[in-house]
Amino acid sequence: MNLDLLLDETTAGALDAAWLLRATAPCGEYGRRAAELGGAPDARAIAADAATFDAATLDALQDALRRAPDVAPALARAGVGDALDDAAFLELLRFCDAWLRARATLARHDRELGTEAAAAACISLVSLLAHGRAGTYGFYLDERFDPVLGAARARAQRAQAEFDAARGRSTQGVARALGRDEIGEHEFILMRGDAPSPLPEGLRVIREAPTYLLCECELDERALAALARRDDADAALAQVEREVREALSARVRERAAGLDDAAAAFGALDAHVAKVRFAQTYACVAAEEAAAGISFEEARYLPLLDQLAREGRAYAPISLDLPGVAILTGPNMGGKSIALRTCGFLALCVALGLPVPAKRARIERFERISWLGIAPESESGGLLSSFAREVVRLRAILERPHERTIVLVDEFARTTTPQEGRALLIALVDRLRERDATALIATHLAGIAQASGATHYAIRGLRGVPARPAGGDLPAALAALADAMDYTLSEVTADSPPQADALALARLLGLDDTLVTAAYAALG
Amino acid sequence: MNAGAGLLDLALRDGAAAIAVVGTGKNAGKTVTTRALLEALRGRCVGLTSIGRDGEAVDIGDASPKPRLRLEPGTIVATARAVLPVSPASEILDTSDLMTAAGPLLYARVRTPAPYELLGAPTASGVRASLDRMRALGAEVTLLDGAVDRVAALAGGDEAIVVATGAATAATVEEAVDDVRALVVRLRLPAVDEREPAVRLDGALTATMVAAFAARGETRQIVVGDPTRIALAGRAFDGAMRRLKLRCERPLRVVAVTVASIGTDRYFEPAGFARAVAAATGLPTFDVYAGARAA
Repeated sequence: MNLDLLLDETTAGALDAAWLLRATAPCGEYGRRAAELGGAPDARAIAADAATFDAATLDALQDALRRAPDVAPALARAGVGDALDDAAFLELLRFCDAWLRARATLARHDRELGTEAAAAACISLVSLLAHGRAGTYGFYLDERFDPVLGAARARAQRAQAEFDAARGRSTQGVARALGRDEIGEHEFILMRGDAPSPLPEGLRVIREAPTYLLCECELDERALAALARRDDADAALAQVEREVREALSARVRERAAGLDDAAAAFGALDAHVAKVRFAQTYACVAAEEAAAGISFEEARYLPLLDQLAREGRAYAPISLDLPGVAILTGPNMGGKSIALRTCGFLALCVALGLPVPAKRARIERFERISWLGIAPESESGGLLSSFAREVVRLRAILERPHERTIVLVDEFARTTTPQEGRALLIALVDRLRERDATALIATHLAGIAQASGATHYAIRGLRGVPARPAGGDLPAALAALADAMDYTLSEVTADSPPQADALALARLLGLDDTLVTAAYAALG
Repeated sequence: MNAGAGLLDLALRDGAAAIAVVGTGKNAGKTVTTRALLEALRGRCVGLTSIGRDGEAVDIGDASPKPRLRLEPGTIVATARAVLPVSPASEILDTSDLMTAAGPLLYARVRTPAPYELLGAPTASGVRASLDRMRALGAEVTLLDGAVDRVAALAGGDEAIVVATGAATAATVEEAVDDVRALVVRLRLPAVDEREPAVRLDGALTATMVAAFAARGETRQIVVGDPTRIALAGRAFDGAMRRLKLRCERPLRVVAVTVASIGTDRYFEPAGFARAVAAATGLPTFDVYAGARAA
């Protein structure tokens, strides 16, 4: 599902779609690649696996996925006939190890990973590269890959030893003449005061300074011949090592198709496991597909749930049946916006093929989710007023072709006159109905549902006014408010008056008591 | 005791597991110092990396010949995958996502003696990560050959720092001595005294900030994260030290200086140069070319 087709930036921000993408993000490179390529996740399979796999199984799978290096570059290079380097062999070995470990983990749950060809490629590659295993994790181009390699290394080692001995003999005379135990292969300083005259044969002066000489030892003919033999042996070893790598790379190439399958299966597994982890963590269920509308029981808006959990606060799930267009009223801080976000978040989960955070849900697979009203964007400045920005946005929403749409309206037209705002909302209900859209319209304006004939939901609101905390402690006031608030959405008859808790809320939040009392008096 | 053994003794005396060799400039003798330390560490599992590029046959900047790092079997290196010798083969211990100027960094163990080029992680966090990884892979002591402004990774740790200076870095002995003295003073910036009032800086201390503090007669400690956060050198740094109480959160531990009296274009009298450096820095000073402690 292309997220850009599903929702715009404002809606994505209002619903915190980024949170959902993070919460369902694969843990490894293969999964990220698979996610970019798309593909339709199966919410039922995800929910089923969330119920089947325990946390230890998911940990084991994600550990394998994280440890698997990206072998795509190595396979591509092998595919065009390049000789791979030893780091590539190590990566291939580790990839196959991780893949086979994940496959074994799944097998314990009677589940398979990838194709037979993929498994065969991984198993045979592990066998092919087994001689290279070094230590716990490493790889070394071991002599067991080819006996010629051992012979070449032995020759190079012997040639080096012969050269070292020849150089030692060659420099021995100089060392004796200078009164030193030995002279290494590097340049060294000889103070003029300590320098014998004439300088010993075989000593070469690289640079002269007023008080000292920078010297090195020249090699005699035998040492030079030994050096030439060592260089030849090194070159021969390099050639043999290259041939062994070419041979191994050719064997990798033979298995490339199977390994590509294995990588693809790993990507799919990574993407799937991330979603299973999400579903398990947040007790999600697969929503039934509704022909129209959205209904759910005990649903949670997860970004807020996460935030409250970090603060050690409880979350109150909500239930709703929204077959078409409905009006939502309720007190300030009663959760109207969160109710809208919950609808949008669940719709987003379904559109992305994810289980939803609810006890039960029936949800239409929407092609478009739109948010109108209070959102971070509407707080920014610009040439347009808040109302004008909302109107422009509504125009854009209505200009889109008729799609399976859910529109979430958060106090649209709150910044114009109540009469005109009310009129606009009544007209908007009609227009959304004409388009067969699903919509939830939150407002403080009275009489919209009655005038438009739309279903009317209300948040129950405060169960009594909590006492004002001493010293105007805002966190304490918010905690008291949360305890006293009943966030339940219930359908109300058209003539039910909207509950007005604003003045009680203002008092609780520490507004001057005289002012609040005067407001009550003005309210009559 | 030769230079390498002396340096090692000083560096490891207080339990350091990593030694950084930093230079006052190009061709200050860092690689020769590292080579001396490697010689002294023969028989122990050493981890080796670089901030920037070291061990190449010729200088990338001016094509002048450079001393090579011929490593012994068992040595662990953290270097760019692209510069690891193809032959003789090394044991590949791990790959990583850390990036160098030449691509990803890997960890390898030397199996056959050979010249290695070191091209390590360029960032302080990357350096710290690669030192830690080499230790986890079995290195008893890790050596870092690199740039002075990147040793922030070692700040606050118990790692030892050896400063290399040489005739190639300055026109005269006096200038070279003054440069190394200023660098050592900067790197040995004292730790903040938590009992005294302090102004803590998030970023670097610049000349403009020094002027502003001095103008208002600031007497509190001016505290930077680590000595590399002081963006002042030479006289500007000396002036700031005189006028302000500069301190740091995470000090560095400088244990010794090495001198290379031979430069491409000039030579300093080795004994006099080493004595002057020792007197100016107050640190044990070694001549790694002569192969001995000089002062």
